[in-house]
Amino acid sequence: MEVSDKKKEVNLLSLLREVQEEYGYLPEEKLREIATGVGRPLIDVYSVATFYKSFSLTPRGRHHVKVCLGTACHVRGSNRVLDATKDKLGIQPGETSENGEFSLETVMCLGCCAIGPVMVIDNKYYGQMSPAKVETVLKRQSEKL
Amino acid sequence: MTIYSDVKPIQTAIDLENLRRRISEEKLPQLSCISLCAGTGCRAAGSEEVRDAFIKEIEGKGLKVKLQVKETGCHGFCERGPIVVIHPRKIFYQKVGPEDIPEIISETLLKGKIIERLLYVDPLTNQQILYEPDVPFYKKQKRIILGANGEIVPTEINDYIAINGYSALPKALLKMSPEEVIDEIKMSGLRGRGGAGFATGSKWELCRKAQGDIKYVICNADEGDPGAYMNRSLLEGNPHSVIEGMIIGGYAIGASEGIIYVRDEYPLAVKHCKLAIESAKDYGLLGNNILDSGSNFDITISMGAGAFVCGEETALIASIEGGRGTPRQRPPFPAQRGLWNRPTNINNVETWANVPLIINKGAKWFSEIGTAKSKGTKVFSLVGKINSTGLVEVPLGTTLREIIYDIGGGIPGNRQFKAVQTGGPSGGCIPAALLDLPIEYESLKKAGSIMGSGGMIVMDENTCMVDIARYYTAFLNDESCGKCFSCRKGTQRMQEILTDITQGKGKEGDIELLEELASTIRDVSLCGLGQTAGNPVLATIRYFREEYEEHIRKHHCRAGVCKALVKSPCQNACPAGIDVPRYIRLINEGKPGEAVAVIREKVPFPAVLGYVCLHFCERKCRRGEVDEALAIKMLKRFAADHDDGSWKKNARNLPPTGKKVAVIGSGPAGLTTAYYLARRGHYVTVLEAERVTGGMMRLGIPAFRLPRQILDSEIDEIKAVGVDIKVNSRVESLDDLFNHGYDAVFAGIGAYLSRNMEIEGEDDAAVLNGIDFLRDVNMGVKINPGNKVLVVGGGNAAIDSARTALRLGVAEVAIAYRRTYAAMPASPEEVKEAVEEGVKLDFLVTPVKISRVNGRLKVEFVRMELGNMDDSGRRQPVPIKGSEFSGEYDTVIKNIGDRPAVPGGYGLSLGKSGEITVDPDTMATSRKGVYAGGDVISGPASVIEAIAAGRKAAVSIDRYLGGTGNIDEKLAPAEELTPFAVEEGERCRLPFSMLPPDKRKSFDLVEIGYDRNQAVNECKRCLRCDLESH
Repeated sequence: MEVSDKKKEVNLLSLLREVQEEYGYLPEEKLREIATGVGRPLIDVYSVATFYKSFSLTPRGRHHVKVCLGTACHVRGSNRVLDATKDKLGIQPGETSENGEFSLETVMCLGCCAIGPVMVIDNKYYGQMSPAKVETVLKRQSEKL
Repeated sequence: MTIYSDVKPIQTAIDLENLRRRISEEKLPQLSCISLCAGTGCRAAGSEEVRDAFIKEIEGKGLKVKLQVKETGCHGFCERGPIVVIHPRKIFYQKVGPEDIPEIISETLLKGKIIERLLYVDPLTNQQILYEPDVPFYKKQKRIILGANGEIVPTEINDYIAINGYSALPKALLKMSPEEVIDEIKMSGLRGRGGAGFATGSKWELCRKAQGDIKYVICNADEGDPGAYMNRSLLEGNPHSVIEGMIIGGYAIGASEGIIYVRDEYPLAVKHCKLAIESAKDYGLLGNNILDSGSNFDITISMGAGAFVCGEETALIASIEGGRGTPRQRPPFPAQRGLWNRPTNINNVETWANVPLIINKGAKWFSEIGTAKSKGTKVFSLVGKINSTGLVEVPLGTTLREIIYDIGGGIPGNRQFKAVQTGGPSGGCIPAALLDLPIEYESLKKAGSIMGSGGMIVMDENTCMVDIARYYTAFLNDESCGKCFSCRKGTQRMQEILTDITQGKGKEGDIELLEELASTIRDVSLCGLGQTAGNPVLATIRYFREEYEEHIRKHHCRAGVCKALVKSPCQNACPAGIDVPRYIRLINEGKPGEAVAVIREKVPFPAVLGYVCLHFCERKCRRGEVDEALAIKMLKRFAADHDDGSWKKNARNLPPTGKKVAVIGSGPAGLTTAYYLARRGHYVTVLEAERVTGGMMRLGIPAFRLPRQILDSEIDEIKAVGVDIKVNSRVESLDDLFNHGYDAVFAGIGAYLSRNMEIEGEDDAAVLNGIDFLRDVNMGVKINPGNKVLVVGGGNAAIDSARTALRLGVAEVAIAYRRTYAAMPASPEEVKEAVEEGVKLDFLVTPVKISRVNGRLKVEFVRMELGNMDDSGRRQPVPIKGSEFSGEYDTVIKNIGDRPAVPGGYGLSLGKSGEITVDPDTMATSRKGVYAGGDVISGPASVIEAIAAGRKAAVSIDRYLGGTGNIDEKLAPAEELTPFAVEEGERCRLPFSMLPPDKRKSFDLVEIGYDRNQAVNECKRCLRCDLESH
């Protein structure tokens, strides 16, 4: 990603984004590497890494589940969809299941409000979700619930 | 991406015009062009599969020369995606699937035939709409910004040039000075579309005047409000419009570098912007010496990383600079010291897109759109509880009502509108009473909200406003950068208090504390996030304070949302709190007797309710959001019809207390009170003025809805508990009762004093009070209303009168109602049955005079139209001058409402319409020891509400007489919760057997009901909301 770089300092945000894209998350060793590489304390790197929601400090599962909690989905009952999903996967948002199969994330608006409540699994969109549909949709991705 | 390499770069303005001409001349005379919406929303709905199907079919049939498929940006009517528009006729196909493609090609494209099933049907008129401009959703919009989306492929710069794109650029750069450009923007009145609404021209001027050689312009595309996706659709669908605006802006301000800061949640927008920038560079419209003007301009893209606060301009700048997105103190403003400490002008995506239009068509043209202080159009995302979800572009000054109803098509399921949130988490909710508010910067602020970036979330009766405040506050707390203590801790405390309230742990004083916190956070925080963080809380308290109070004081969530307070929406909506999911489950398991026991734990009239309840539960049934609400009432009736009496096993009376209670009136309120007090061991006497028992259940509701033997048997059960009922016993004075040794009195005397129409001729003998008409027929009085009857009114009583008249042999029965069908208080199923039986309905009409002509009644009517709103949020009907007409009838029956007639001898304080005023929680009247409930306190309502009032009164009276007030009974056996699997797939309600219309001549029961198989089948549609984890 290009950003006009007038200052001599390195753009930490861009560096972290590259790592996130390559590894799917920000491994601790990489954060330390960056800190040493740019000559800044680890806390500075960690501070930017934890400020932005796009970055994850934990690895994602084989199937990444996003439940939209945007306002339009919320008034259509997305929190109940989330509760059912947490139930079925046995994890909280931000976590990955023990067998590494699923990870769960909540997002604030995918811009597909017309088909809300929305759930996305690995870039596949599922609209008009309800608690009753969660199990079937998850099973379509993987039997190892 | 097509670039004419012999032209690049375009050296002069004349070259550009030549290119424009060449593009339009070289446009192949295609047979047809297919515009396929490929915005993110339609992609999620499957437009990529549709595109693939088109390509496959076109190549397979060798039609590439004749047909062009254009993948465009968002068309705006997201509800109906995937959308396909066939040019040049602009045939509008919606909800298209890949399986429809072969037919679209063979029929529509090759033969010109319309495929009807793919057309949009206007729900108001039931008409099919053929062409895009006629679609009601688009008709009322003014799509000067978004309209181009459907015409161009966003990554094809030639398409943009062909529709006159990049024509403002040469005009600004070559024919206007920077100051002239700024003046034009100032005169147009354009205000920032990101939310704050600052005058754009003035902002540019400030930056131009700032000191410094190097300046920047930034496009803020960090559209973070949940539910708002206007900017995304603009960047995905027409990125060149934004680029052109930025180049012009850079020229005016003196900046040669522009940055688009876009959320990383918008990969398609990023992709299209990058391609657009590349092609603009190729053509020399970006770079050095653009069009030989001497000006340079370049654009780069910087991506966000998931932080809402980065939409705030100083936080945005910090993020571009690579660090945490924390805001900075202002002054100095970015116009003075912004990115890299240099003068920077930041504008929203939509603001930039307006610039080329203003330069091309002039400030005067622009300023004629909108209102005095809010010029131009605004794009809104209309989402939530709305029929036509999508992007709406209208002139500022358009009212909320027009957007939500005329364009948005109103609320799904005909539910009641509650509020609309504008401005996202920084805004406030606007209630029904303000639906006629014109949308402008100032008017929204005055109402307690803000324009914001344009998100409009529509909410209905099933939305809890306390939960909404909690939701937004939690969001803001999560997104707060943490720099200011007030915002960081303040939003946290507000979130904690709100969460407590939604869990039934709220305390007196919480509302006031929230108000104080919200105001303080606003006054003390550094940036816009903190300064507006209190808005959602303050607005919901301002307009929906009662909901907060109900949560705190009564642990009740009327919308049925707050899980800790609601077992299931159906039970929550029932005035008596009947455990609906439990008895549905028991019916499903083949145990109707136990189901009745569950029902009887809350009400002593399971059968009556199963025949006539107004079923508030069904309105809230979540199944109704999938396909159709469960037929809860009919299932209750099935259980009651198959009762085995096992409920009596666990029912018992307490030992006699020696206290005596007089219940006046044997309607549902009185009998319910009597039943529970008898169970508590008191000696209860019911004093009924008429010669029959039952109140409205017998005298109001016709036998073809509630068979007499059903009512009789339930009243017998009440007598069996020990209640003594005396008929022909009118009570004129309460003193008499107390003198006779009664310790407490309950007045359930109903409301059956007919209201008057207040018109001439109303006192004619053939003009009957509907309530008296029904009573007489139900008592067996022989009435002959003649051949033609008019019923005036729109509630269930009016429908009952009309259907009763038919059964008395009247040949023609008509109902005249002063409002619309949608506003009729009568139950839709009753109206439907009446129409099936031949009743004629006339709406927006009211009688103004009655006279006697040739032995018949001549009724003069006037037609009505809907005028301004009243306080209840409904539009008042107003007469249309000159629309008078008349009709002749033998009898006119008035069912326009009734009032209580409380004898003066009771000595009770009464309300405006003569109702007895009571404490809403204890049912206590103004007189010690006297309680009241049912229609006498509320006006005509429903059986279930009367029963619920009876329960409350029984609790209070028992306490008053020294008891604990605990009237709960355990009638059903304890059981294990055995969840049955919720059935997936859409399936509408099972229809129940009914008498065919031509057989409905007598007073026999019309709704025959379910048999055993049908009942069990219907139960399987229950979503078991009671089992959802808490």
